[in-house]
Amino acid sequence: MPPAVPNVSSDLNTPAELIATPDIVALDLEATSGEDAIRALHQRLRAATPDVKDAGRFLEDLLARAAISSVCIAEDIALPHARTMAVERIVLAVARTAVPVAFDAEHPGVRLIFLIGTPKDAVAEYLRMVAALSRLLKSPGTRAALLAAPTEAQFRAVLARAVKR
Amino acid sequence: MKAVTDPAKLLLARMLRLLRWRVWIQERLQPTEWQVTLLWAGFVGWLGALSSLMFSALAEGVHHVLSGSSAGVVESMRQLPWWAVLALPAVGGGLAGLVLLLGKHLTRGQSSTDYMEAILIGSGNVPVRASLVKSAAALFSIGSGGSIGREGPMVQLAAVMASLIGRWRQFTPPQLRLLVACGASAGIASAYNAPIAGSFFVAEIILGTIAMETLGPLAVSAVVAALTVRVMTSEQHLYKVPEFTLHSPLEMPAYILLGLIVGTLAPWFLRSLRRAENLFIATRLPLIARLMLGGLIVGALAIKIPEVAGNGYSVVVNILNGHVLWSTLLVIVVCKWLATASSFGSGAPGGVFTPSLFMGASVGFVFGTAVNAIWPGAAADPRAFALVGMGAFLSAVSHAPVMAVIMLFEMTLSYDIILPLMIASVVAYYTAKGIEGRSLYSDALRKKAAETPGATDFAIGRVAELMKPKPPTLPRQAHFAEIARLFLAMRVNNLYVTDAEDRFLGAVSLHDIKPYLGEPELAELVIASDILREDFPVVGPDATLSDALGRFLNFEGERLPVVDSGGKLLGSLSKGDLLLALVEARKKPGAA
Repeated sequence: MPPAVPNVSSDLNTPAELIATPDIVALDLEATSGEDAIRALHQRLRAATPDVKDAGRFLEDLLARAAISSVCIAEDIALPHARTMAVERIVLAVARTAVPVAFDAEHPGVRLIFLIGTPKDAVAEYLRMVAALSRLLKSPGTRAALLAAPTEAQFRAVLARAVKR
Repeated sequence: MKAVTDPAKLLLARMLRLLRWRVWIQERLQPTEWQVTLLWAGFVGWLGALSSLMFSALAEGVHHVLSGSSAGVVESMRQLPWWAVLALPAVGGGLAGLVLLLGKHLTRGQSSTDYMEAILIGSGNVPVRASLVKSAAALFSIGSGGSIGREGPMVQLAAVMASLIGRWRQFTPPQLRLLVACGASAGIASAYNAPIAGSFFVAEIILGTIAMETLGPLAVSAVVAALTVRVMTSEQHLYKVPEFTLHSPLEMPAYILLGLIVGTLAPWFLRSLRRAENLFIATRLPLIARLMLGGLIVGALAIKIPEVAGNGYSVVVNILNGHVLWSTLLVIVVCKWLATASSFGSGAPGGVFTPSLFMGASVGFVFGTAVNAIWPGAAADPRAFALVGMGAFLSAVSHAPVMAVIMLFEMTLSYDIILPLMIASVVAYYTAKGIEGRSLYSDALRKKAAETPGATDFAIGRVAELMKPKPPTLPRQAHFAEIARLFLAMRVNNLYVTDAEDRFLGAVSLHDIKPYLGEPELAELVIASDILREDFPVVGPDATLSDALGRFLNFEGERLPVVDSGGKLLGSLSKGDLLLALVEARKKPGAA
């Protein structure tokens, strides 16, 4: 279990800043399915930030969204997300799974998960966040570096570097 | 880099590229609903001019066939033997009656709504068959030399074109009425080669407002119509007149006196037309016989005074150029008055706009000559009085002094006459209004309103009457590709999202997705519910227009969804329609 990292992003305003310093980074997350992974990461996130006001509602919204349509943007990357009343600001939890996790039939080997919660009225911010993540993760170098980072600090450093680029 | 070969992804990328172009063009051109309305107004103006030119050509053709002469109506009457002069308008009247009678079978179930009623008290629907039948009948009454104007059917035809276009494009009632008004404006502009007067004719007489919301499209339509006529014919201005000047300020009292005289005569002219109509109805003759009788009276008068035939245009040109003696003119005026009353009274389809111009020119010229004889300094040129008389008479019969002044200026392009024209037109208007509250056009509308109980209740007061039903919608699980496709297909800035029961969930805004149109990865992830704006303002179907306006005050968009109390999406309300309806409501107190 990686050490708990203090919440550093409660006063962050832009999606780029939040990606550089996520609310939580969980390396080697244990999960057997996409839903399992979402539940586990949600659990970590709610413990890490007080800005998840209604954890139950947030989880429901995340799972409901994932049930409507795939949340994967590549064969090994998933972006479970929800616009929800349960959070007060955009929250971001990042995980790397210990073993590939099947999110759906078309994405059986997800390794990187970026879980996003956005307040209901923050449509533009939500789009900025997912667009920034999509752009960042399009780079094979960044993906490889994230998969290879041995510690949470190095994982965060990869994210911060990628955002700066 | 790996090339994308998946056809679905290629299609999506292509669609997003197109949507980016649409947004790029839209942001640079910013075509609001008002600007789109202007484009339609221009198109309607062009169609109106074509229909007017076609009607003129057909009327001349009918005249040629009936009289065997290709000269003007008055000239033909001079050339024909007396019995032919007597018979020609009667035969034309009979044919017009026959067309109307046969047309009754074709138009069964259609009202006889004319363009003014359609704009003012109707839904903007001008019935096509009824209008065509009336216009065809008018070809015979005009072509045979009836003392009636051709501008009525020309305007009606232009309005029909506009109404057809509006219905085809599924315009809402206020938009449709505005488009029909544009058609009418084009009709007048092309009939008289007077685009400003065309716009003001409709604005002042029919709409009763010169608000920019309506005047703008009217002007565009009129300008396009006048340009079309100028390109397709050699007409530059309708009445070629010599230069007129105000010789001395001493002439002004005489012009004011002319305004008083014309203002007094005009209501009597209108009353005489109504009286003649009642007399013809009292004969209880069938329509064809009535029209033949009207034509026979015109023919009988034309044997001695051929100038009574037709709309009076050629006589007006002669008066303005000083080619008619005042003593002769006095006889012509009396006979022409009788002839117009006979044609109009017998029910001959056509207008009395040009005959009114004739009356004004004649009265003005006779008056100017009389003043000149007594005190030459007070009326140096009687022809100038004829010109001012035309404007003043038109102002008095139509109750539209602004239009009258502009029309006279446009028809003659003589600026020097403006000062006396303005004062005489205003004096004539107030004098006429003091004698008779009704104008040439209010009569027809009042009659129609009385025939159609509840017609004036049409005034829009609730959002439900103004909304456009069946707006394009998306399900909440719609993918970015579907959203992009719908944005491309529909010229809207917001797409409404509904559930399976048509309940309104929110809207997806083009503004939100605009920065991300170049990112296909995002397009695969995002669905409608991800970018749905649940707080999108809505308006209820029973909301009043002022409530709806309040909603628009804090909303930058052009359309609001109309949602009932159960949350069901019923339609959408356009800000343009709302403003138009409010402009109309100002005209009809208590409607909004």
